Amino acid sequence: MLFNSLSFVVFLVIVLALYYSKLFKWTNKKRMLLLASYVFYGLWNPPLVILLWISTAVDWTAGKKLALEENEKKRKFWLLLSMCVNLGFLGFFKYGNFLLDNFTSLMNSFGIEYQAQPMDIILPMGISFYTFQTMSYTIDMYKKRIEPAKTFLDFALYVTFFPQLVAGPIVRAKDLITQFYEEKKATTNQFIWGLFLFTIGLFQKVVMADTLLSDTSDTVFGSDKLLHGVDAWIGTLAFSGQIFFDFAGYSTCAIGIALMLGIILPDNFRYPYASLGFSDLWSRWHISLSSWLKDYLYIPLGGNRHGITRMYVALMLTMLLGGLWHGAAWTFLVWGGLHGTYLLLEKLQKQYLPFKITKWNGIFLAFITFSCVNITWVFFRAREFETAWNMIKSMFYMQTDGEKILGSFDIIKVSVVIGILFLCHWIMRNTSMKALSLKTSPWVLGVIWAIMFFLIVIAQGSGEQFIYFQF
Amino acid sequence: MKLKKSLILTFIICSIGLITWESYWRSQGKIADLDDNKDLWALQRAKVENLSKNGVLLMGSSRVLFDFQLNEWQTETGIRPIQLASAGASPLPIFHDIVNNTGFKGTVLVGVTPGLFFSTTYPEAGPWKRAQRRVDYFENRTYAQRINHYLSMPLQNNLALVSTSEEGWADDIDLKSLLNNFNSGTRTGKPQLPPFNAFSYIDQDRNNPMREKTATDTIFANSIKAVWKFIIMGNKNPPEKEATTNFFVADAKKFMKRGGNLILVRCPSSGWIKQGEDKFLSRIDFWDPLVKATNAKAYYFEDYDKFKNLECPEWSHLSAEDARFFTTELVKIMKADGVLSNSKTN
Repeated sequence: MLFNSLSFVVFLVIVLALYYSKLFKWTNKKRMLLLASYVFYGLWNPPLVILLWISTAVDWTAGKKLALEENEKKRKFWLLLSMCVNLGFLGFFKYGNFLLDNFTSLMNSFGIEYQAQPMDIILPMGISFYTFQTMSYTIDMYKKRIEPAKTFLDFALYVTFFPQLVAGPIVRAKDLITQFYEEKKATTNQFIWGLFLFTIGLFQKVVMADTLLSDTSDTVFGSDKLLHGVDAWIGTLAFSGQIFFDFAGYSTCAIGIALMLGIILPDNFRYPYASLGFSDLWSRWHISLSSWLKDYLYIPLGGNRHGITRMYVALMLTMLLGGLWHGAAWTFLVWGGLHGTYLLLEKLQKQYLPFKITKWNGIFLAFITFSCVNITWVFFRAREFETAWNMIKSMFYMQTDGEKILGSFDIIKVSVVIGILFLCHWIMRNTSMKALSLKTSPWVLGVIWAIMFFLIVIAQGSGEQFIYFQF
Repeated sequence: MKLKKSLILTFIICSIGLITWESYWRSQGKIADLDDNKDLWALQRAKVENLSKNGVLLMGSSRVLFDFQLNEWQTETGIRPIQLASAGASPLPIFHDIVNNTGFKGTVLVGVTPGLFFSTTYPEAGPWKRAQRRVDYFENRTYAQRINHYLSMPLQNNLALVSTSEEGWADDIDLKSLLNNFNSGTRTGKPQLPPFNAFSYIDQDRNNPMREKTATDTIFANSIKAVWKFIIMGNKNPPEKEATTNFFVADAKKFMKRGGNLILVRCPSSGWIKQGEDKFLSRIDFWDPLVKATNAKAYYFEDYDKFKNLECPEWSHLSAEDARFFTTELVKIMKADGVLSNSKTN
């Protein structure tokens, strides 16, 4: 089910009505939320709920055993079991076709005639998100960082909680499971603020991403022609805005919906396009994934504890795997590799060419960072290397005879939207929406809210799927 | 934070804004109607699964959509046909789906619009893809998508402002369509499709009469003619007569072998389009060999005095009134030929 759909609005109203009715006590409310979450997921493809159940059952069992078991070998066994099941799901459903294709290509390159049967594997929605979330529980249990979930119901709800089930934020057990132990009820202000966040999230998705930017981005990246530099840049900028509004929109909706239930989810984005460098970017973009990768991949790989070379290797590996997490294609690996390279260069700059960031050079640095990020988006969005490379050539004017495929209005529209987006991020980079709203008159807030809602209604949209559902 | 105040203000402004928006567009002649999208098509396709031998399926391109009126068909035969025609599309993928993915052995009427029927069998070509997308959507639609469509239909039927269409009509009033009106083709230097406005209404059963304006307002009809000219003149692909005929005949034989009743119909066209069809997709070269190869009962509008002078307001489709006449009279002819049964008398 998509947040930007009528069925979800009806679903949410029913869930909220049941949640705040006096029909159920807290345990039954949690059961209702769990059932609602399975319905939310199952309305897309019912049989794939079974994967959620398996993941839940395996990690619940592993967590329980890890809480009691002292024998190190047996503890490792339970950890490995959880990793094998979750990564096995990911490997089969997400990377199965990719691995098979590459194996076939490898065989053929050695002159061995091999043609694999296509597997036609369906990618379960949000599998990368919920497998990472459940794995974090088991790893934390293995490391004895957290207490086990008190009941199976609490754990199952943690894995399946519908607002963040399919596209995050990837929440840690200590931050979410404990919230289920006592009855939660949003205050009036929390509820209205949640509704406001839900509206902002929908506005970002329906109006900004789908209505204003997606067509331009799709036109440019869907073209098989060598493009004029302006068209290539505008298409890339449009995608840059689209993916931010799409994903941040989803996260904002998720946070808002959870807040309406009295549950607090962590921020996932903090105005990333005003980042001053790439370490800053990754503390602002998809925060829950970058912190997951840092805690469960970068640090176990050695982090910065074993010298500079080892740190660089750990960093690069983390970014490459982070790239691959987004999709089973070499272009995602290049995307991750570029970010890894940026981070390495930034560390070298900080070591050998340090300079102080002031408010005067800050915006310039933010602009440079944003421009470099845009180059990486080309590899993220393009389905083929050839498309990506043509785009890069066009963007740097190596194609003088590129074709113009965008209308003047599209160029103005995208330039204005992205210009405003960048400036808004710059203005907001050291504050938050909550802090800003506290300073804003309720009348002004009401007018802004009304404009956003009005635009959502007249934009309507065609229920476009969120980009990150495929990851 | 005084969020209650903000919420109340939001509610008041939105209510006023949306009522004003709805009233404005209604004053401009917009009415609330359904979109002929893949969900609506899938609803009809789903009905095929439960059809008996008496069932009737209509398929083809937009001419079948416009020219066959379901109420008249039902009045004449007692059976309401299922409308599976798809505008701008080849009927081949849909017929192929019915023949190969269902056990249906009732009556299938296939409309032959030469430019689309004989266009292609290439899966990526527009006329094929448009139809195949609907077939695929029917196979793959999720329960959430079904619920969304059920929930959206009352809104589409009652609010003019709910206007997103799959076709992307020039007179749609959703935000994206309104913004697209600002785009001109001056930068790309390519000719732009003239404004293509919706010119029919569709109901839940996909009964699709032409809008009265198309038949009475010459300027409006001319705007549609300009679109046909743009599309037809811009199409540089030659017809694939052999491939399309062979593909269809294979399915037709399979269908008739299992007891299915196949009817081919060439609906009326007129003016510039008819001249073009006669010249480049002539009856002798295209229709006649198809009829011979399928051995199905076939009706060519020009063979009947009552149909041959029917005028299409925009060269390609009948007005609502003429469509009712055409349906009633053609069904009578088909009944007289014993091609259609009458459940009212049987």
